[in-house]
This record gives sequence, structure tokens and C-alpha cells, in this order.
Amino acid sequence: MSEQTLVDVQDLVIEFDTPKGRVRVVDGVSFSVSPGEVLGILGESGSGKTMSTQAILGLIGGYPGVMGGQINLNDQGVTYELLKDLPSFISERRGQPEKNERAWRKHRYAQMKKLWGRAITSIFQNPRRSLDPLMTVGQQVKESIQARESHKDALERLNDQAQTEEALEWLAKVQMVDPARVYHSYPHELSGGMCQRAMIAVALACKPSILVADEPTTGLDATVRAQIVHLLQDLIKAEQCAMLYITHDIREMLYLADRVIVMRHGKVLEQVSANDLKEHALERHEYTQVLLDAAGMIGAHDE
Amino acid sequence: MSQIGLDHPQQKSAMLNEATIRWSLWLGSKLLRGLSLLCGASFIIYATLRSAPGDMVDLILGLNGTPEMKADLRAEFGLDLNIIEGYGRWAWRALSGDLGISITFMPGEPVLSLAGPAFLVTLSIAVVSLLCSIAVAYGLAILLGPPRPRQAFLLGPIQLLNAAPSFVVAICLAKVINELIQFQLAGGGQIPPSWYPIPTYQKITDSIAPFCFAALSISLGDGLFTDLFNALRAELMSLNESLFISAVRAKGAAVRKHLIKNLIVPTLSVFTARLPLVLSAVVIVEYIFTLDGSGYLLLQAAKNRDVPVVVGVSLFFIFAVIVMNLILDLVKALVDPREVAKGD
Amino acid sequence: MTGQSTGQSTRQSTWYSTWYSTWHSAWKEQPLSFKLSSIIVVLVLCFGVINPFISYDPVLDVELSRRDLAPSWEYWMGTDGQGRSVALRLFKGIEAFFFPGLIAGLFAAFVGGVLGALCGYFGGWIGRSLSAVLELIDTLPRMVFLVLICTIFPPSILLISIISSVLFIPSIATIIRRKVEALGAEDYILAHVAHGFHPLKIISYHILWLQCRALLTRQMIFVFSYVLFIETALSYLGDYGVQEPYPSWGNMVAQSRISAVAWPWALPALAIIITIAALLAFGDGIARREEEVKR
Ligand SMILES: Nc1ncnc2c1ncn2[C@@H]1O[C@H](COP(=O)(O)OP(=O)(O)OP(=O)(O)O)[C@@H](O)[C@H]1O
Ligand SMILES: [Mg+2]
Repeated sequence: MSEQTLVDVQDLVIEFDTPKGRVRVVDGVSFSVSPGEVLGILGESGSGKTMSTQAILGLIGGYPGVMGGQINLNDQGVTYELLKDLPSFISERRGQPEKNERAWRKHRYAQMKKLWGRAITSIFQNPRRSLDPLMTVGQQVKESIQARESHKDALERLNDQAQTEEALEWLAKVQMVDPARVYHSYPHELSGGMCQRAMIAVALACKPSILVADEPTTGLDATVRAQIVHLLQDLIKAEQCAMLYITHDIREMLYLADRVIVMRHGKVLEQVSANDLKEHALERHEYTQVLLDAAGMIGAHDE
Repeated sequence: MSQIGLDHPQQKSAMLNEATIRWSLWLGSKLLRGLSLLCGASFIIYATLRSAPGDMVDLILGLNGTPEMKADLRAEFGLDLNIIEGYGRWAWRALSGDLGISITFMPGEPVLSLAGPAFLVTLSIAVVSLLCSIAVAYGLAILLGPPRPRQAFLLGPIQLLNAAPSFVVAICLAKVINELIQFQLAGGGQIPPSWYPIPTYQKITDSIAPFCFAALSISLGDGLFTDLFNALRAELMSLNESLFISAVRAKGAAVRKHLIKNLIVPTLSVFTARLPLVLSAVVIVEYIFTLDGSGYLLLQAAKNRDVPVVVGVSLFFIFAVIVMNLILDLVKALVDPREVAKGD
Repeated sequence: MTGQSTGQSTRQSTWYSTWYSTWHSAWKEQPLSFKLSSIIVVLVLCFGVINPFISYDPVLDVELSRRDLAPSWEYWMGTDGQGRSVALRLFKGIEAFFFPGLIAGLFAAFVGGVLGALCGYFGGWIGRSLSAVLELIDTLPRMVFLVLICTIFPPSILLISIISSVLFIPSIATIIRRKVEALGAEDYILAHVAHGFHPLKIISYHILWLQCRALLTRQMIFVFSYVLFIETALSYLGDYGVQEPYPSWGNMVAQSRISAVAWPWALPALAIIITIAALLAFGDGIARREEEVKR
């Protein structure tokens, strides 16, 4: 892993047990992200985008989950090899590799404890289900700030009042109409789009060095969508934060991303710079062309 | 910053007002509902009384009732009036604290002074056993974590407890205790049930061991423990897999607070569903361990066909179920804002 | 049987042949607990049905010279304090709860199902008043109300079983109502309505029979096990259930709990636990299986 990369994923394998047997949903995915870079991930529904990114965070539910590969995460110059110990949790039983999931999760959570929020955090795909229904939105944003501040020395920490104000500020930054009101609202009192923005505020308030944004604009109307995209762009510029950006909207992707990987059936089909995708569309992988075509980025005569 | 500050007085008070109105509406509707349930349930009891075969007064007093005793009883239950007026009279008397007078079981004793203190005993057994059950279920659910194949040896017996009526658990407990430590537990059956004229709290401290065993057998029996355990475990698992807990983890905050808060609501739901069963169980188990609570009182009075006492105790039970449900609803609403928003 | 089903499968599949083949293949996949519990349930059913045809005189059975005998070939569950065979009394004790339980279960499932479906389907004014009445019944503490009934009316096990089934109707109706409300929002039910099917047909066939039968069976079994429980409890208490010398599992436990030996009370207690456990597991298994088939 070179000095420049923040996160480096190699040959990632993710499997799940289903009633029909074990299926491999991510099959040897590799990618890496450098500081300040935006890596876009493109692909159809179910192609394993969410799973590949959540594997970095160690938050995959379901059994057995990550079964192989390497993930290196760089935090303030220190590199953590997140999957180094994985083989010792896997054993052979009845001809099939089984994982001691409970111990693995414990190990993984212990590993990630100091990295979550600060080194990497995520905007989750389903905003309504990603907010605690029993806590006010403001409280949840504030919790991010508290978690962030707890890493600092006692002297440098913000006091309670300042944290509340910062939480309000974040709510205002994500274009909430009435931040003070939203602060005291519970998620069920907000619309889907407001939940989405609250979720973005929660993630951004952590000020991570890598942000995973999993379809942050799905479910928002076009104007808010544009605002959120601009907001994300401004923020990553301001905070020097790298981003893994997942979306189904290719135009959005081309606007934000520096590099794009295209995934299908759990494999990376190709990796291109955003420019190449835009300008040399016809030299791309067949499937990429289909995607571009569907978005109306190539004329029908090109087929 | 100031224009979106929290302490903008006007905004704050407006929000406060709205919340107060919503809350008081909710509380009012709940109270109203409890009251109507109380009326309805007591009416069912009264109607049952009225529909007794033959003349109820003769049935109660038997052969040795004097005419004036009969007239008294008629007046008490409003038997001379039609059913609605009679119910009104009877309910009014009951509300003003006059539940009548014991006839055959403890002649001359007012029912209220028999049933009231006895009910305190019952209530404390019920509450202690519920709390006991939940504590152990919580602990075990957290300890065991998600189901794994090798836990069958432990889970089998727990699921079997689902089928053990509390009185069977009680008998087994009493037997085992009697065998093991030669401890004469009242419920072993060796000591014939004795009845103390007026049950008092003093009696509980005298009979602390039977009290504990009664609570233990209720909390284990009738599937209370199994239900709680299964519900908590399922909830714990689905919470652990839930997106918002992952989100809390991802931002680097502590999950425990969120987990506990989100577990309270399903636990309370099990409580609500189980409350009537627990009260039923208390009746029998009190009898087994000869604890002088209202279950014991009820059964002794029923044996003597002492209708006023039986009715008085039944009213206490109904009242308790309704009040406890109200309290549980209140706690649920305090924890979960969606309850109040749902409204009715 | 297999030959017959393969022979017919090309031409037609009657409801019983599909039923047979699905259940036959499903039996092998069932967990052990379900297999065990269904064996016990079938045993109880058989015993319950042949019970009335076997005569038993509890008074003649008394023989003080053979009291408290340990289990042996002749008395393979031993004898109790009065020298009566525990096995025989255990067998005869099934009668005390079997038919009352069946009646109560069927009654509660039928009435609860219909009321729940009506509440859920029609909603509005009818649904609300019906569910208010049901909620009212639900607040009555079951045991206490049963004791009250037994004080006022001459206690009989039939009365007890009917009352307990009435007390169970609200919970069944609530479960069915929820299910029906959830179904009511489904497109295919709406489509049936749009096609102009008669609401009665939709409720009885499409909703109750096709969607709720596993749920209702499970609840029926639950009520059955509750009647077993309440019968044993009341018999244990003495005055309300089956009276000595006639056997019931509850009064067997009660009678023998002061005896010096374990089997006269422990075996009936065990029988109660195992039977209820088997009934519950069986009901759960059926419901689970139905869910799997749907998926
Ligand atoms: N817990 C699980 N158990 C079994 N299969 C799972 C589980 N979680 C995800 N999968 C499967 O993994 C595959 C990849 O899922 P993933 O969420 O990564 O898709 P995605 O690319 O993010 O799709 P979308 O664009 O819809 O978000 C899917 O086919 C899904 O069915
Ligand atoms: Mg996804």
C-alpha cells in the first residue's frame, strides 16, 4: 500500500447463506481511494455495491459475510490491516468453510472502535431505517459530534452548548427548512427526504477522512438533489475528505467522481476515470455502454 | 447563528404548547377508555350475578337466612330494580367503597377490609415475579447472543418451561425444597392451609420464603419466562442487525443506550399481553404456598360460596388489570414518541 | 399409496393427493421437535377417542394392599396411595379435558375467526364497536372470572370449557383482525373486490380459509392446551373440576402431592407438561410450515 492511498481493498469475497445454498455476492473486488479523491461505484441493483463498501466498515449483517481478501485502511499515517486475522476465524466443516461469526464480529468491532466516525463513516442507503426511532434527530447529530470530540484532549473539547449549536448548524447546512424544529423532531415526524438529509448531517458531523455515501440522493426531488450534490462537493473540498460515492444516477456520478468502477454480479468490470467515461464512451466495456445508453448518454445509433 | 438558536422563546413555547396539547389529549383518551372498560367489565360481572339460576339470595344465604338479611342483600345488589338501575345502584355503592359484607366465610367482615390488604400481597407477588422474570430473561438473552446449534441443551428446557403451568412448577419446587433441605415449606402439603383473620403485611415478612418461591414459580411457569426470553432475544437480534444500530456504530458512538431504549417497548408489550395470565397464576400459586393474598381469599370464599367476597376480589383484579395496563401504556408512550403521535 | 399417487399425478391432483405428497415430503424435512410433538399429539388424539369405550371403575380399583408400588411390568407407572394403577388413571384422565378442549378450541377458533375477519374487513363503525366488546372481554382476568362463574353456577367442565373459549375469543379475533387488515391492503384482495366477488366469499374463502387457516389451527391448539391447563388447575384446586375418585391429571397431582413416593404426582405432572409442550410445538410447527409453503 502506497503512502497515498487511504483505503485499499484487494480480492474481497463476500458470501451469504440462503435457503438455496451459499451464494457469493462479492467475488474478488479490488479498488483503492487516495486522499481527497471521489471514487464512484456504478452498477445495477444487487451487484454488491453496498456490501463491498460496508465490508470496510465491518458492518455486514448476515452469515457468513466477508470470507476473504484484504482491506487496508490508513488513519493518520498508520495502516490497519483489517482482514489480517480473518483466516484464523474460518474453519472447514462438512466440506464448506464456516466462520465463527460471533468471535469475528467481536474482533472486528474492537478493531473499528477507534476508526469509526473519525477515519471512516457512512451515509446509509435507507435513511428512515438508519435513524434511531426513539431519539430526536438533533440528539443524533449531536451524538456524532460528541463521539468526534471524545477523541480529542479534554482541553480542546467543545462544551455542551457549542455542540448543540454545531448540530443545529449541520442541520442548516443540509438545507433543512426549520433547523430548530427539526432538532426536536423524531424521525417518524419527518418526510423521507428530510430523514435523508438528517442522515447526511449525522455522517458529515463526524468529519471523517473517508465518507461512504450510499445513494445519498435517492428519494430526493431534483432541486434538493442538486443541492445535496453541491453540498457534498463543497464539504469534501473543505474538509479534504475522500469519498466512496454510490449512485444509480450517471450524470451525478460524472459530476462528482474522479474515478468510477463499474460492478456487476459481484465483480468489478472496469475502472475508468470520469473523463474517459464521458468522452470515450464507445471504448468502454459493453455493460458500461448499456448503462450509459440507458441514461441517454450515448445515442441509439452507436449500438 | 442566533436566528436558528434553540432558545428562541416564541418558537420554544409554541412547540411546548403543541406537545402539551397532544399529550393531554392522549392521556385523556386513555383514561376515558380505562374508565369505560371498568364500567363494562363490572357490568359483565353484575350481569353474571343476575343471571344466576334460581333466587340468588337463597343461593347465597342458604336455609339459615333471616328475612331482614335477605332484604339487605337484595338492596345491596339492587335485585329489586331492573338490571340497568340495579347496576347503577350497585356500582355506586362499590365506588363509594362499600363492597358489602362477607356472609359465610368471615361473617360480618366488610369485604373491602378483607380484599384490600390481601390484594396488596397479590400485587406484590405479581410485580416481583414479573421483574424477576424479566431480569433473568434479559441476562440470559444477552449472555447467549444469537442462536447457535450447540445451545440446544439449554434452549430445550427453556422452551419446555413454556408448557409448565405455574402450579406444576410450584409443586415441583416445593417438593424438591422439602426433600433437599428438610425445609418445611407450607406448600409441600404437609401443613393444612391456615387462614389468618386479617391478612397484613406482617404476614409477608413471616412467610418470606413461601413468598419468594411463589414469585419464582410464577416467573418460571406458564410460559412467562419463555415468552419474555424469546421476545427479547428476537428483538435483540433484529436490533443488532438493524440499520440504525449499524449507523450508530459507524459514527463511532456507543450503542448500548440505543439498544436498551429500543428493547423497552417490546418488553412492555409482552408484559401487557402476559399480565392477565400472571394474575391467574398468582391465584393458584398463592393457594399452594398458603400465602394470604387475594387469590387464596378468592378460593376460600368460593369454597364457602361467599358471593360478596368473590365479587369484591374480582373487582379488585379487574381494576388492577386496567390500571396496570394504563401504567404500561404511559411508560411506553414516554419511551416511544410514536405511541402518542398515533393517537386514537 | 405411492403407486397410486404417481399413477394419478399425470391426470389430476386431488386436494388429498397433493396434500399427501406435500406432507410426505415435508415430514422428512421437519425438525425433530415437530416430529416428536406430532407423535404425541396423535397419541393423545387416539387415546382421547378410544377413551369412552374403555370402562373404568375408580372405586373397584382401590386396593390398599398394593399401595405405592414402584413401576413394574404389571403396573408400569406404579400405583398410588390407594393402590390404583397410575397408568390406567393417567389414561382415563384424558377424558376430563379431551372433548371439552376440542369443543372449546373449535368454538373459539370459529367465532374468533369470524369476528376478527368481520372487524378487519369492514372496519368503520361495526368493526370498532365489535372490537370494543372484545377488548372488554379481554380485561376480565380469566382464572378469577372462571372461579366467579363456578361459585354462581353449578360447576361443570362443559361450562368451564365454554367460558374459557369465550375468554379466548378476543385474542384470536385480534390476531385475525390484524392479518385481515394487512391483507385488505393487498392488491389481489382489492382485485377480488373489484371483480365483484361477494364479500362473504372473499372473507370466508379467500381470507379465512386460504390465508388464516394455519393461524386458526394454531390458536385452536392453543385454546385446547389452555383448557387442559385450566381443567388440571381447577381439579387441582379441588372443588370445580373432576371430583375424586374420578381421575383427572390435575386431581391426580393434587391427591398424591403428599404421598411418600414420587411417581403418583410426578408422572401426571410430567404428562401435563409434555402434552402442553407437544401441543404448542405442533401448533407452531404447522404455522411455520404454512409460512414456508407460501414463500
Ligand atoms: N444478509 C444477507 N443475506 C443474504 N443475501 C444478502 C444479504 N445482504 C445482501 N444480500 C445479497 O447481496 C447482494 C448484493 O447486495 P447489495 O446490497 O450490495 O446490492 P447493491 O449493489 O447495493 O444494490 P442496490 O443498488 O439495490 O443498493 C444482493 O443480491 C443481496 O440479495
Ligand atoms: Mg445498496
